[in-house]
Amino acid sequence: MKRAHLLTIVSTLVCWLIVVLYLTPFIWMISTSFKPIGEWATAELLPREPTLKNYFEVLVTGGIYGVRGHFPPIGRYLMNSLIVSICIALITSILGAMTAYAIVRFRAGGTLFANWILSLRMIPAVAILYPLVVLTRAIGLYNTIGGLILVYPIVTLPITTWFMIGALKNIPKETEEAAMLDGCSEWEVFYKIVLPQAAGGLATAAIFAFLFSWAEFLIPLLLAPGEAAMPLTVFAAYFSNQYGILWGPLAAAGVVISLPVIVLAIAIQKYIIRGLTMGFVR
Amino acid sequence: MKRSVMILILPTLALLLILAIYPTVYLYYMMFQSFNPLIDLSPYFVGLGNFVTFANDPEAWYAIGIMFFLTAITVPVQVGLGILLAMLFTSKYLQGKLLIRSLMLIPMSIPAVIVGLNWKMIFFTYGPLNMLLQSIGIPPQPWLSAPFGDPFNVIFTLAILDIWQWTPYVMLAVASGIESVPADIREAASIDGASEWKILRHITLPMVRSVIMVIALLRLIDSLRIFDIIYMLTFGGPGNVTTTLPFYIYKVGFTLTAAKANIGYAALLSVILLVMATILVIFTLMRTFKVERLIWG
Repeated sequence: MKRAHLLTIVSTLVCWLIVVLYLTPFIWMISTSFKPIGEWATAELLPREPTLKNYFEVLVTGGIYGVRGHFPPIGRYLMNSLIVSICIALITSILGAMTAYAIVRFRAGGTLFANWILSLRMIPAVAILYPLVVLTRAIGLYNTIGGLILVYPIVTLPITTWFMIGALKNIPKETEEAAMLDGCSEWEVFYKIVLPQAAGGLATAAIFAFLFSWAEFLIPLLLAPGEAAMPLTVFAAYFSNQYGILWGPLAAAGVVISLPVIVLAIAIQKYIIRGLTMGFVR
Repeated sequence: MKRSVMILILPTLALLLILAIYPTVYLYYMMFQSFNPLIDLSPYFVGLGNFVTFANDPEAWYAIGIMFFLTAITVPVQVGLGILLAMLFTSKYLQGKLLIRSLMLIPMSIPAVIVGLNWKMIFFTYGPLNMLLQSIGIPPQPWLSAPFGDPFNVIFTLAILDIWQWTPYVMLAVASGIESVPADIREAASIDGASEWKILRHITLPMVRSVIMVIALLRLIDSLRIFDIIYMLTFGGPGNVTTTLPFYIYKVGFTLTAAKANIGYAALLSVILLVMATILVIFTLMRTFKVERLIWG
């Protein structure tokens, strides 16, 4: 008994130490975001005189330490990211659920279709983006939020479809069969009976789509480099490449961009691995 | 197929046709053309000209080589370290497991661009890492230009970022694999006098071998897409040291900054990347992912 007690203390201490060390870079960014300008290049982990000025400038005024024009406030890019990510979350979770239902219950498209969607999850986007730039230019969606909403599904739709396959295949089919006997079409069965039962799974799939849209960088870099539709990730890259060592505001921007997705990822942590491994690891 | 079932998959099918099939067809057409928007008014047919360019382009071969070199560092380290951490974090003596797993989600949930930004701060010449080194008597290293003397070593700096971001993913997957091993098997071995370590080594780990295999393959496939951290940290430099194939495609086809800038040539390089990714994907689907069983089993 005493040995078990000792083991508990030792392994808990060791593991927690590892976690803290592992997360030190991120902790450093959070801490830097609260540091005033004089402390940006110091080696101390905690700020000596914590300040909210970095956040204030990143979120509200823009500029650096009163000098306007250095960079605009983040609000506009935050809106772009939010609009695109929410639209993509809604659209691709529903489309994914529809496709998953057709695959699970009716073997629509057979093994080949399922395999194909899965393989789309794994292709490198950089390879297919030039044709999509040409396409969005041709239909007038280049540099618009609409263009991003059109193209992001190449990333998120395979993920939501595969997540919904996992969520739907465990729903008992008896009620569906009864409804079909009553004369409901597949489509009616889907939205009257299946969707309500899979509401939790649908919400999780939507969060997955949101996380991937939020983090997407390459597609908007090439499809929406202008102000009008630029999301946070592209803004952060430009901002950091132009004002390389303004660590305070940069760190504050980094924290603002990371926080929503960290919260969402932790909210669905039970399903994260299942979603990322396409249902292979539960 | 019934019409109502068709309606269910039609939007997805249409969208993916536009987003995946059309670009692929376009690439196969474009790789026989030459088009540099800075010089040419419109694309013109060059036959196998781009293939000749490719065969004689050391930068392209380097880009392919360095892409696999980066992968050859990151994937084994992620998998090894991930397994190790999973073993530690599933110990029955550990308190606060759930909180630890939530915290370990942080690196993989933040956008790769922000991971790049975050580590830029750490690797900064007057940043915390060099300050730490100085305090133990090691002179500051220029991590992003030429650490340890040779510019080539910047590739290791990049590897650290990807390893940091994705090791927790392997850890979480392997941990959930370990935990899905039925408790009574472990208990039986424990009663027979096997030590905790022996149970882990000889019973649990062999049972999660398929999980480890899949994770390693998924990481390998994902590694062919590493782009954001290169953009943030090195922009392919110094020189072209960290210009992997995806980044080379970006330079050849999008920024037109490479010596061989040409959209037709970029299309050929894209096809090469797609073919390599497809081979890996098919291998994964055949070897480990039994789609048939995953969906209808």
